[in-house]
Amino acid sequence: MNKMLVVMLGSILVLGGMIWMLQSDSNKRGTPSLSVDGTEDEQGQSLMFFCAASNRAVMEQIVAEYTAEYGREIELQYGGSQTLLSQLEVTGAGDLYLPADDSYLKIAKDKNLVSEMLPIAKMEVVVAVQKGNPKSIHTLDDLFRKDVKLVQANPDATAVGKVTRRILKETGQWDALDKSTTAYRTTVTEAANDLLVGAADAAIVYDAVLHTYPDLEYVTLPEFASGTSQVALGVTQQTRQPRAALHFARFVTARDRGLVNYAKHGFQVEKGDVWSETPELSLFAGSMLRPAIEDTVKEFEQREGVRVNTVYNGCGILVAQMKAGQVPDAYFACDTEFMEQVPDLFPEPTDVSQNELVIIVKKGNPQQIAGLRDLTKQGLRIGIGHEKQCAMGWVTQNTFREGGVQQEVMENVTVQTPTGDMLVNQMRAGSLDAAVVYLSNTAGSGDFLDAVRIQGLECSVATQPYAITPASPNALTASRLFEQICSAESQDSFTAEGFRWKVDIESSGGND
Amino acid sequence: MIEFKQVCIRAGDFQLDKISFEVGSGQYAVLMGRTGRGKTTILESLCGLRRVQSGQIMVRGMDVTHWPPADREIGYVPQDLALFPTFTVAEHLQFALKLRSFHKTQIDHRVEELAEMLGIAHLLKRGIDGLSGGESQRVALGRALSFRPTVLLLDEPLSALDAETRDEIQALLRTLTDSTGVTTLHITHNTAEAAALADRCFHIRDGQVIEDAKTN
Amino acid sequence: MTEHAINRTGEAKSHRTRRRSDLPFFLVMSGISSCFILLIVLLLAADLMFTSLEDFKAAVMKPEIQSAFRLTILSCTVAALLSIWVATPLGYLLSRYRFPGRLLIDTIVDIPIVLPPLVLGLSLLILFHLPIGGWELEAWLRDDVGFPVTYRWPAVILAQFSVSCAFAVRTMRVTFDQINPRAEDVARTLGCSRGQAFLQVALPQAWRGMIAATTIAWARALGEFGPILVFAGATRMRTEVLSTTVFLELSIGQLNAAVAVSLLMVVMAAIVLVVLRVLGTGLTS
Repeated sequence: MNKMLVVMLGSILVLGGMIWMLQSDSNKRGTPSLSVDGTEDEQGQSLMFFCAASNRAVMEQIVAEYTAEYGREIELQYGGSQTLLSQLEVTGAGDLYLPADDSYLKIAKDKNLVSEMLPIAKMEVVVAVQKGNPKSIHTLDDLFRKDVKLVQANPDATAVGKVTRRILKETGQWDALDKSTTAYRTTVTEAANDLLVGAADAAIVYDAVLHTYPDLEYVTLPEFASGTSQVALGVTQQTRQPRAALHFARFVTARDRGLVNYAKHGFQVEKGDVWSETPELSLFAGSMLRPAIEDTVKEFEQREGVRVNTVYNGCGILVAQMKAGQVPDAYFACDTEFMEQVPDLFPEPTDVSQNELVIIVKKGNPQQIAGLRDLTKQGLRIGIGHEKQCAMGWVTQNTFREGGVQQEVMENVTVQTPTGDMLVNQMRAGSLDAAVVYLSNTAGSGDFLDAVRIQGLECSVATQPYAITPASPNALTASRLFEQICSAESQDSFTAEGFRWKVDIESSGGND
Repeated sequence: MIEFKQVCIRAGDFQLDKISFEVGSGQYAVLMGRTGRGKTTILESLCGLRRVQSGQIMVRGMDVTHWPPADREIGYVPQDLALFPTFTVAEHLQFALKLRSFHKTQIDHRVEELAEMLGIAHLLKRGIDGLSGGESQRVALGRALSFRPTVLLLDEPLSALDAETRDEIQALLRTLTDSTGVTTLHITHNTAEAAALADRCFHIRDGQVIEDAKTN
Repeated sequence: MTEHAINRTGEAKSHRTRRRSDLPFFLVMSGISSCFILLIVLLLAADLMFTSLEDFKAAVMKPEIQSAFRLTILSCTVAALLSIWVATPLGYLLSRYRFPGRLLIDTIVDIPIVLPPLVLGLSLLILFHLPIGGWELEAWLRDDVGFPVTYRWPAVILAQFSVSCAFAVRTMRVTFDQINPRAEDVARTLGCSRGQAFLQVALPQAWRGMIAATTIAWARALGEFGPILVFAGATRMRTEVLSTTVFLELSIGQLNAAVAVSLLMVVMAAIVLVVLRVLGTGLTS
């Protein structure tokens, strides 16, 4: 009985001692937690980063450099991409997510788990072989040989498998390859490992996976040329430290920081932004866009911790500035015409929204203006936008021309301004009887203005394109701003102001 | 001293209905009957290891029907003896006394006394592995009697012993019960034993306990 | 028998044909057994040949590995001790008493053994983060109690405990099944309460079983990987245990490091098993 008591007591002591040791070890590492108590200063808090195990080698370097430079701790959780995604979903915590390839990010985005995606590198589908290519595998047909044991990653569970299957199904070669495949492995690293231990002669993998396998080589096949995937870093929707998370994410994807490490590890890195702690973005925007995007831009600044210097002005003036050498990172023009005036700077704009011209008159429409024709009435004082200074003016001229009333209406024009707001103010002051402005300019003036639509004239509708300077050091940030502008909330802003939304969200993020 | 009043017990498949019998103080009662008829069940319900459906069990005039075994002060020697494998012989004899918080000297004294009575003084330091049948039987008896119970229950104590040892233990039982005056209920299927030891003889038949007429 | 005594050579011959040799028996038994033993030995030998002493030393010297080693030893031991503390009463109850719902409890206890490890880990994660009308277990623990679990060392122990306790309960149940309940009955007639009977009579007899249960629990905790990965994560220097180290090294193709750490685990496990075996036999001499 005594022996029993001694043992029981002893075990409790040992138990207690060990728990104490575990807790003190944990305390030594600092106490970052999964939550933030909502303070503005986020310096002391660490970020929780769900990172695919295959990226461990390169990410640990980057994290070490980041922590050395900025002192913020990053807590790395490793696992398989799918498992990490499930953890994200279940815990509702986590600030950053880096899956093995971006197909998982897309799934995460669909589930509203991820908001921003920052591209890191491209990966190609290749055929891995042992050093020296002992089985002389050079073409796709070589993979069908009886003496070549081919392993692949499972097409239902891995992205590389999916991509391979998709490509080969299109060329009709999938079934043949399927038959020649000795085994399907659950992850792409397992396939590579098979090759390493000699259980296989060839494996279809991503080139990026092989950077930790010095004893393996790879062969690129023309059939796989279209099989590229991206490695991208996602910032979660639910993060409580968006600024810190984006700070780190920008560090990882900066061409002079994280991407250097990735390149050293054999990835084909994307261009990336130049690193800056608080990037300053310059955006030129047509002044009529101001009410639609102002709040969005501010929110973007808040979330990212960047500064966006927006210059609102008539597009003509902006174009002149650009031609004189002041090139912004992004340009949001009032009309395509004024984007096409600087094609070398912005090769790939995307049409975002549309705005139509309307005739504004005093409330109650005392002059009984029902359409363009009525603007030719004698004695009317009409205000329009200046043709050269702003897109509005240019579109107005086109409209008059189309409507066949250009000359007559121009006789009634008393003032030409660079922006529509000025015309609205003049209407208010009573110095004009009518003005031709954008529908968006009339927002908020319903008390003293009526708007008369201009029917049936295509060119009375202006289309607003957005474009990013390819050479910009903040190109990625600018494209994230674009994504923000395309978000549902922002769309609501636009439509509330009288714009019509144009861009298809599904195909955004690309340039059209 | 032991009295069963209209006791009903259900055990496994069979039922003992309205058992009633009594054994007087200091008497040596033997309970006989075919195997599987419920003899052990009666013993178990007497010492509190089995619940009864209805009726009353009286010991020393007190209704112990709902008392836990620990309170009944009954010594029990089961058929397989159930010695404590991790205890020495001495510890077996000390066990009940330690539970009752006796002084060390009192315990040692009683152990010596018991060992003498049972003839196992030379075995005190031994563990129970390797004890002969007779020796084990003595240890079990000593354990059951260590705290001077008023009732002693024996479940076929002599069945597993060879003829010589059986006679020894039989004699021992007689001596012990005479000297301590403990009321004993002894289960057996051997009529010779019954004849040698019993003051009273009972039979279980058809789920009833019936006393045999017995001379002496 | 007498007819054989006549011819000396005849006798020898018929003795030889009559005597049934035990040799075939031993050959077959040891043949079958040695297949398994040989397999294990070959596995270890293959591992040893794959790695080299330098690799092994390099791996062992890394501070992350040392931290993982320390965490492994601590967490496995804590999980094993907790397991035996829980498994002993539970095994006793399941063995001795027929209570309503016993079959159900029995089945529930076996579930962690049968569940795929990842499911167990995911379920733990979900449990701690399930919002119940605005309240969440993990949030409560972290904010009100000051003891966060997910992705911290308690999660490692909880994940290990969930499985190792199930094994320990099984072992203790069998142990108590093999202990004669009559002895406890007699103890009760001698004056014990049920608790005393358990502590003084049953438990000392269960010693060997408890050692076995602790051993199994410890071994299971050591090998646990799936639930730990999902519930506790694999953060270096914080929740990385040796089994997750092997996974991490494997997933970037560092087979050498993976094998080196595996061998380290084998050595560690062997030492603990031997120690526990000696303890077990030593105390029940």
